[in-house]
Amino acid sequence: MAVSLGYVFRETRGNLRWNVTLFAATIVAVWVSLTLFGSSLLIREGVEQATGRWQGGIEFIVFMNADAEEAQHAAVRSALEENPEIGGYDYVDQQGAFNEFITEFADRPELIENVTPEILPPSYRVKPTVGDADVIEALAAQFETRPGVRQVTLPVEVIRTLQQNSQKVSVFVLVIAIVVLLAALMLIANTIRTAIFARRQDIEVMKLVGASNWYVRLPFMVEGTVQGVIGGALAIPMLFLMNNLMAGFVQEDYLELLRSLVVDSAVVWNTSLLVTGIGAAVGVLGSLFAVGRFLDV
Amino acid sequence: MIELDQVTKIYKGEVLALYGVSCKISKGEFVFLVGPSGSGKSTFLKLLNRQETADQGAVWIAGKEVGALPRSSVPKLRRLVGCIFQDFKLLPNRTVYENVAFALEVTGRSRHQVRTQVPSLLELVGLSKKTHSFPHELSGGEQQRVSIARAFVNRPPILLADEPTGNLDGDTSNGIMRLLAEINKRGTTVVMATHDQHIVNAARRRVLRLDRGRLTGDEARGRYTAAGRYT
Repeated sequence: MAVSLGYVFRETRGNLRWNVTLFAATIVAVWVSLTLFGSSLLIREGVEQATGRWQGGIEFIVFMNADAEEAQHAAVRSALEENPEIGGYDYVDQQGAFNEFITEFADRPELIENVTPEILPPSYRVKPTVGDADVIEALAAQFETRPGVRQVTLPVEVIRTLQQNSQKVSVFVLVIAIVVLLAALMLIANTIRTAIFARRQDIEVMKLVGASNWYVRLPFMVEGTVQGVIGGALAIPMLFLMNNLMAGFVQEDYLELLRSLVVDSAVVWNTSLLVTGIGAAVGVLGSLFAVGRFLDV
Repeated sequence: MIELDQVTKIYKGEVLALYGVSCKISKGEFVFLVGPSGSGKSTFLKLLNRQETADQGAVWIAGKEVGALPRSSVPKLRRLVGCIFQDFKLLPNRTVYENVAFALEVTGRSRHQVRTQVPSLLELVGLSKKTHSFPHELSGGEQQRVSIARAFVNRPPILLADEPTGNLDGDTSNGIMRLLAEINKRGTTVVMATHDQHIVNAARRRVLRLDRGRLTGDEARGRYTAAGRYT
């Protein structure tokens, strides 16, 4: 037999009216738990974004011989331009290298005295489009053997360390997010169970007058969904607030590192939708299981 | 209408509640189920609306074996078998009207049917003026009347009453008994568990006597004394 919408609506409204405290307690549990879970997700997103940017900033340097011919330069340039894994490059000529040398060793004039632009190698500072250490190493190797190339230097160790660390941080934050989610699920389920336990006699009476299990369950499930969605929705401003606070820190230059932890508002919206969806799902399933325990009358 | 065939019920494998009970109750009968506390009266009633199932033997209602019904059919059975309890079991947050209407709503009746049937039932039990009261605003007798209205609103062919006057004084009990007699007159089979000898002896109806789970007596127009003597 179909359960009428009017009945479900009236029962749900009644449940909400009669159990304001427990209803509010469940919403607060969902709100706080999902804010924590959403925050963990945003931090993870921020860490991935940050390491992505750091990796993106890595470059390798192709040093040419000081006496390399123009044709050799042209060959290297066209190879750099044609390679899709290379995002761009800067050419530093001998004068440029000399200027850098002067800046670098400004406190050691005896070194500067013995160096002229002619003996310094011109170089190409190459920016790969990928941050993966293996790919960059393979790219660099392609240039090492070209005529006119003196040496290719690349910070493979730096990249590898960065990759490993960012992976560790990312996994660590993900683990925290999962633990927070599990704690949230248990807290929410427990609050719902308490609310339904308080009404186990109502459920018994409903069953004794001939209500089918779905007649009893549906209003509770709608109630759980409403609580989950409200709790999840309340977490949304908290997530934006957190992201904005982070942005505020960055503006005031508290911590340079935090700059990359501020994520785009689209990411916050996606996380918010996920969090609200989880809230609704937890509400429905939590109620379903909690009611089930008392249906055996 | 109701038939028990060699029914035995043992709780948790240890406590013997009913042992080898067999009896038949015809349509339209009014039957008292008597016996001291722990004699198996409540278990007898619980087997009829499938709150419990028999460990041995079979319970039949309107030609169907209650214990063999799939779980999904239990709500349907309970709409055939109205129940009244000693502690009324009203929903405390609902008004008199809502408590009675709920039993109709779960059977899928339209709002129009609910609006017409509930007031006529409340009139039958004498509570027309308390429609919007909550259970805690009513006396014990009035609460039991609401419970009767709720049990009868679906016009079930069977009404089970478990010590319905157990919490009520003499006059109020008599009022409840008149109401049950009226419902019985309209064709509903009534099975009432009680250990109130005054009520049983005043009514002079069929009496089934239980003693430590065994059916020890069955007499039309029977009498009962709480000390256990059955004449």
